[in-house]
Amino acid sequence: MRPTARSQPQRPPPPEGAPFALVEKGVHGLTLHALNAAARGAGLWRGQAHADACAMLPRLISAPAEQARDLAALKRLALWAERFSPSVAIDTLTPGFEGLFLDMTGGAHLFGGEAAMLAELRGRLARAGVAVHVAMADTPAAAWALARFSGAAERVAPAGGLREALSGLPVEGLRLEAKALALLKKFGLKSIGDLYDLPRAGLARRFRGEIGFRVVERLDQALGFTPEPLDSERPAPSYRVWTPFAEPVIDMAGVGVHLPALAEALCGQLARDGRGARRLRLTGFRVDGRATLIEAALSAPAATPAHLIRLLREKGLDRLDLGFGIDALMLSAEKAEALDARQMEMDEAADAAPPQALAALIDRLQARLGESVVRRPSFKESWVPERSETWTPAGPQAPAPPERDDQRLRPILLFEAPEPVQTLAELPDGVPARFIWRRASRRVVKAEGPERLGAEWWALGARPQRTRDYYRVEDENGRRYWLYREGLYGREDADRAPSWWIAGVFA
Amino acid sequence: MSLTLLSPLPTPDPTLFPSVCEPLEEAAAAEPADAAATFAFALGRLAAAKDARPVVLVTTGLWLRERGRPFARGLAGWGLGPERLIWIRAEREVEALWALEEALKSGAVAGGLASVEAPPFVATRRLDFAARAGGALGVLLRAGPTGDLSAARRRWRIKAGPSATHAYDPAAPGRVRLNAELVRRRDGPPGAWALEQDDETGRLRVVAGLAGHGLDETDRPFAAAASAAA
Repeated sequence: MRPTARSQPQRPPPPEGAPFALVEKGVHGLTLHALNAAARGAGLWRGQAHADACAMLPRLISAPAEQARDLAALKRLALWAERFSPSVAIDTLTPGFEGLFLDMTGGAHLFGGEAAMLAELRGRLARAGVAVHVAMADTPAAAWALARFSGAAERVAPAGGLREALSGLPVEGLRLEAKALALLKKFGLKSIGDLYDLPRAGLARRFRGEIGFRVVERLDQALGFTPEPLDSERPAPSYRVWTPFAEPVIDMAGVGVHLPALAEALCGQLARDGRGARRLRLTGFRVDGRATLIEAALSAPAATPAHLIRLLREKGLDRLDLGFGIDALMLSAEKAEALDARQMEMDEAADAAPPQALAALIDRLQARLGESVVRRPSFKESWVPERSETWTPAGPQAPAPPERDDQRLRPILLFEAPEPVQTLAELPDGVPARFIWRRASRRVVKAEGPERLGAEWWALGARPQRTRDYYRVEDENGRRYWLYREGLYGREDADRAPSWWIAGVFA
Repeated sequence: MSLTLLSPLPTPDPTLFPSVCEPLEEAAAAEPADAAATFAFALGRLAAAKDARPVVLVTTGLWLRERGRPFARGLAGWGLGPERLIWIRAEREVEALWALEEALKSGAVAGGLASVEAPPFVATRRLDFAARAGGALGVLLRAGPTGDLSAARRRWRIKAGPSATHAYDPAAPGRVRLNAELVRRRDGPPGAWALEQDDETGRLRVVAGLAGHGLDETDRPFAAAASAAA
C-alpha cells in the first residue's frame, strides 16, 4: 500500500502575532494546552483555565488540541532525526516540554563538530518550517535543561563545563514534578546552582516521601553522577550506510542511481563481520523534515549487493514518498545474522546452490506478493484434519515432517471450511447412497469407512464438539470425496440432528 | 515426411505414454469436477522427475475458494513430501503467472504448477523459457479444455475414472485411476491412456501395460478392457 497523507482538514494558521492557544478538556473544564509566543507574552500560561484566559485576553484564538497527531508528528521527526544519529529517543515525560534525545556520542565530528551539527540540524528544520531549540551537553538531562531554559536556540555546553552551564537555569530544568517545584520555590531555591552547595543528605530528607530523592537523582543525572539510559525509539541498526546529496533527489531514478553504491557499502560492512542481512530498510530523509522508508525481509541472511537491490526494487521503490525531494538516503540492516560459511564445490556446476537460490526466490516472492503469501506446511498434534496442518509463511528452514506418520489416505485438497452436503442414506448412520454438493446430485458407488475421530474435549471451545465419522466415497464418474457426519445418532446432542459435510477431495 | 528424415532424433513411438515431462505442459480438466484429478496428474508429472529440489504450488484466490487448499498429508501420497512443498497463495492470475515464472527460472525448484484461467500466449512463452533456463518443469492447470494459443509442449485433458477394485474390500474405492488424453503435442500425434496410481511409489503408471505387474485377478478384466478401449 502506498502511504498517503491522511486527508484531515488542515486548520488555517492563526494570524501572525495574534495570541493563540490549543485547549484540552480537563477535570474542571477547558484548560490551555499549548500557547504561542504572543499568548505567553500576554501573561497566559499552560494549564490555565480557558475561561480565565479569555477573561484576561478576550481576543485569544483557541482550537482543540490533538495530542495523537502531536505524538505522530514527533515520531515522524524522530525518524527524520536518524540522519544524525541511529539512536533517537522520544521524550514525552514532561507535558508541555516534549522533545527528542539524540545520542551523538562520537558522531558530531561527522557533521563538522558539535556547534556545526546543531546549526545544520536547526537550519534544516527551519527551512522545513519547524522551529526548534537545540542543545548539546555531556548528559541528556543537561541538554534537556539547556535546550528549554537557556534562552538560546542553539547551545553547546563545553565538555566538563556542565556545572557552570546549568547553575543559572531555573529549577524547572530538572524535570521535577509540580509538587517538588513548589516546595523548592518555597525554600527560596530558584536556580539549579542554588542546589549545588546544599548538603545532599539534608536535601533528600527535606521533602516528604520520595520527592527529596527525586530531586537529588535529577540533579545527579544532570551533572553526570548518575547514568540516564535513553530508550531509543527503535533499536539502532548495527549496520548502516548513508549518502547525503548536494541537491535534493526528487525522482525514483535518482534513488535508483545511488542504490548500488549503498548496497555495495552495506554488504562490505556485513561481509567484514561474516554476517548477512535479515531485514533491510531504505530510508530517505526529506527536505521537509520528514523521512520515508521501505522495508524488506529476507528468509535467510544474505550479503550480496545484487540480491539486496533486487529485493528493494521488488518491494517497490515507488513506495518511497519523496515529497519535495530527499537530501540523504540511508540503507540499514535492521537485523543481521551470522552468514554460514560455505565451502566452494570443486565442481562449479554442482554449485547451483539450491539452499541459497531457494532463499533468494522466497525473498523475491515475499517482497512482491507479501510475506504471508509464500507458505510451507507445518504440522500440529491434532486428529482434526483442518487443525492438524497449517501453512505458515516460509522461513529459511524446510518444515519438519509430521510426527505421527499415519499412512491413512488423506485428500489432496481440503476445504478451508467444510461445506455442507445433503445426503440420502438407506440407514440413518450408514454410508449415504446419494449426496448433493454444490447443487449437483452424486450417486455413491464405492465407499470406505467410517474413520471415527472423537471431539478434542481438552481443547476448550474448539470445534468439533461432536464425534466425526469420515467416509471416503466414490461417485459414478470416478470422483472421490471425503465426507463426514458430525454427531452420532441418538447418543450425542439429542436436540441437534447429525449433519453431513464434505471435508476435501481425493484425486 | 521429410521432417522425420531430417530429424536426428528417433521419432517417439506415439503409442507409448510420454512419462517424462516437458519443460512446460498444460493439464485441463475435462469437466470442472475433474479438477482434483487434474491436480493429481500434474503432481504426478512433477514428482516423476528424479529431482530432490522443492516444488511450488501456485494457486489463485478463485482456485482456493472453489477447490480448497492443498493438503500436505494427502500430497505426501503422491510422492511429494512436505519438506519439498512451497505453496504460493497468489490472489490474481497475473501474480500467479509471475510467481511461477520466477520460481521456474530461479533454478531452486524442481518444478511448479499454477492454476490459471486464461494465460496470454506471451506469458506461456515466458514460462517455457523460464523452465528451460532453470532446468525445471512447469505445469499449467486449466479449469476446462480450451483451444487458445499456448506455448505448452503438451496439452492434456484429464478425466477421473472409476477406481480399481480394492484388493480386500470390494465395496471400497481402490487404486486411483484417471484417463489422460494428450490433445496436442509438438513431437507426435495425440493419444489417450488410462493411468493408475502405483501403490508403492505413489506415481502414475499406465494401466494397460501392466499384466503380471502387481495386478490381482480382479484387476485383469478392467486392464484388458482399458487396453482394448485404447
